[in-house]
Amino acid sequence: MSTPKRILNALAIPVATLVILQALCLFNGQSVISNMKSFDNFIVYTAIVMITTMALSINLNSGRFDFSLGSMASLSAVIGAKVTYMILSGGSGSAALMLMIALLSGVILGLISGLTYCILRLPPIIVSLGVTLVYEGIMYTITGGKYVMTEVQNQSMSGLTGTWIYAAFIILVVLVFMIFVFDKSAFGYDYNALKSGQKVAVATGINEVKNALVCYGICGGLMGIVGTLNAARNTTINGGQLNFGSIAIMFTAFLPMFISGYIGRFTNEKIGFLLAAICMSLLNSTFAVFSNTVNATMQSIINAVLLVVFLIYLNNKDMIKRLIKA
Amino acid sequence: MNKKLTRAVGLVMAGAMTLMAGCGNAAPAASGDAQTTAATEETKETAAPSGDAKKIGVLVADVSGEEALGFRNYYEKYIQGNYDVTFDYTDALASAEDEKAAIEKFASKGYDAIISLSSSDRAQQIETCEEYGLYYAIASGVLDDEQYEKYKGYEHFVCQIGPSNATEFEAGKAMGEYFKNQGVKKVALYGAFIPNPMHVFRAAGVLVGLGCTYGDANDMGAVVGQIFQDQGIDPTKVSGDVELVAYLQGYGDTTTDELNAAIQKAPEAFLSVGMATTFFAQTLSQENIPFADIDSFTAMNSQSMESGSLKYLAGKYSSSIGPVFALVVDAVDGNVIRDDEGNAVSLNQGYLVATDKASFDEYFVNDNGDTPIYDKETLDGIIGSQVTYQDVKSLVESK
Repeated sequence: MSTPKRILNALAIPVATLVILQALCLFNGQSVISNMKSFDNFIVYTAIVMITTMALSINLNSGRFDFSLGSMASLSAVIGAKVTYMILSGGSGSAALMLMIALLSGVILGLISGLTYCILRLPPIIVSLGVTLVYEGIMYTITGGKYVMTEVQNQSMSGLTGTWIYAAFIILVVLVFMIFVFDKSAFGYDYNALKSGQKVAVATGINEVKNALVCYGICGGLMGIVGTLNAARNTTINGGQLNFGSIAIMFTAFLPMFISGYIGRFTNEKIGFLLAAICMSLLNSTFAVFSNTVNATMQSIINAVLLVVFLIYLNNKDMIKRLIKA
Repeated sequence: MNKKLTRAVGLVMAGAMTLMAGCGNAAPAASGDAQTTAATEETKETAAPSGDAKKIGVLVADVSGEEALGFRNYYEKYIQGNYDVTFDYTDALASAEDEKAAIEKFASKGYDAIISLSSSDRAQQIETCEEYGLYYAIASGVLDDEQYEKYKGYEHFVCQIGPSNATEFEAGKAMGEYFKNQGVKKVALYGAFIPNPMHVFRAAGVLVGLGCTYGDANDMGAVVGQIFQDQGIDPTKVSGDVELVAYLQGYGDTTTDELNAAIQKAPEAFLSVGMATTFFAQTLSQENIPFADIDSFTAMNSQSMESGSLKYLAGKYSSSIGPVFALVVDAVDGNVIRDDEGNAVSLNQGYLVATDKASFDEYFVNDNGDTPIYDKETLDGIIGSQVTYQDVKSLVESK
């Protein structure tokens, strides 16, 4: 396929999404992005969805389903918030310090999750369910089941998501990091080899345990960033998420993951994550425009329906093409 | 094929568990389990007799709100420090089942009484306390008239002291009128935890105070009835000179998106019927949107009032729950105070309103730390075997 055609195909879904949603808004005398505040929200949401989708896909592409992503995001954010508040008491630089501590905590939590998987040799879904419950329990113990608010309500934290600039910078850094690590490094080559054929890759001398551990560590680090962004955006962290209450954090990544899988056929997979996140953010911005008529429950239903429709399309696109031609 | 299967299984499980997590919610620490329920069967007839220190269980739905924390500080620091009493707070009770289980657990541990700050199902709370022989008092919100008529004669129902539903409505109405008089034309409204009756009455009051109608009605009964029926406020049913540009309620995964959507609509004021000062103060301050709330006089609200972002606060002071404690102590000691008709005590408390730092400090400073408005000396006046209904009524009405 020629490069222009690849670009056109890669941009088809985001552009179609923008055109449809903008037309819908214009029909009601509004716009998807109505002011600077909505643009800030759009970029911040894009960053959260893109990074969550990346974290979900890293292990899922290797056949490891990790349910603990949400709990890693929340727990690393709680640790980051508590430690940062102890050091800076909500003063200047809190957001940057919390981001670093949460990222580091996330990496450690990810490694623990990965080690558990490698040692127990149980199916990853089962292991991640157990890890989720443990992390949620630790978080509940630290917070007493309360919202963490004082620690994340300060000028520095609100500045992190109060403008699009920091979120855009985070998107850029994460994108460059992911492309370099997974497409340009020796680790990335091993990862892709294991993804394509585990037995053959292991037979060539690739250490699958080490590779899996690094994957879990990177996932944890990414979820630490998501946890910080969520904390800044929500101005709270819910410390009372028990019984898989944290899973909702990763559920937002399913539709973009499938969309990025489609876009990834025509461009770099990581660019696909970004474009898919933009699609989701456009949808979220449109929901904001219609918030008085489309309530939160309706929005959840629409998201679920879109996911099902997209999956139906992906699995039946050849038949659909044949029907159109006929 | 394997990857596809993993994705499909994962997706289905994630969906199912998200649903289950939503339905189940966090189990409170004081909630019961099978063992607890079995244990409580043995103690059903009567709660264990009081020891030297009185043991009071406190039911709470909100563990993070400014008002809730103020109440908790007063009971746990001031009252516990001055009286021979132990308070045991539940974690956040999310449902009527949680409330019942928590009461059963307190009963099994030999507690003397329950003070309720949780309102998922007050009727069931009273029934359960009666069943286990625990004294019961309501410290936040009140029963509706029909419920009070039904339960006022229950032996262990001690009292309800707090703003009546009509007072809640008037508090909301005064807030709405204040902003209407300020010339505000576009507002966003946070309905807190509607259909909690307290929040329904306040929200109805705000709409009426703004000069709006809801479903073409503007009297308390009709507006409240419709809000209960809608389980929220439908912005399309609001009409009047002041435009309701956004409405949100509850607190959960979607709240931030809803708040952002509300802010994008550029309201001139953000009116809340509870807990906005807890959840949204930071964001609203950053966006320079003036806000108002019905909450309490606490340190955090003091900061918001000082920064100028909190323009209006109708609040209770933290020690306003002092008389409830006093009546519970009287009951446990054998003096179950009844009103003139021989029923459980029901007294109304009004709201104090602050619109600037000076008026805020007047209430905040006077009800702080070691010097609460209902201090030991004041409460001692209504604790004892000779205390009467008139003594309590006079004191509450004087504050």
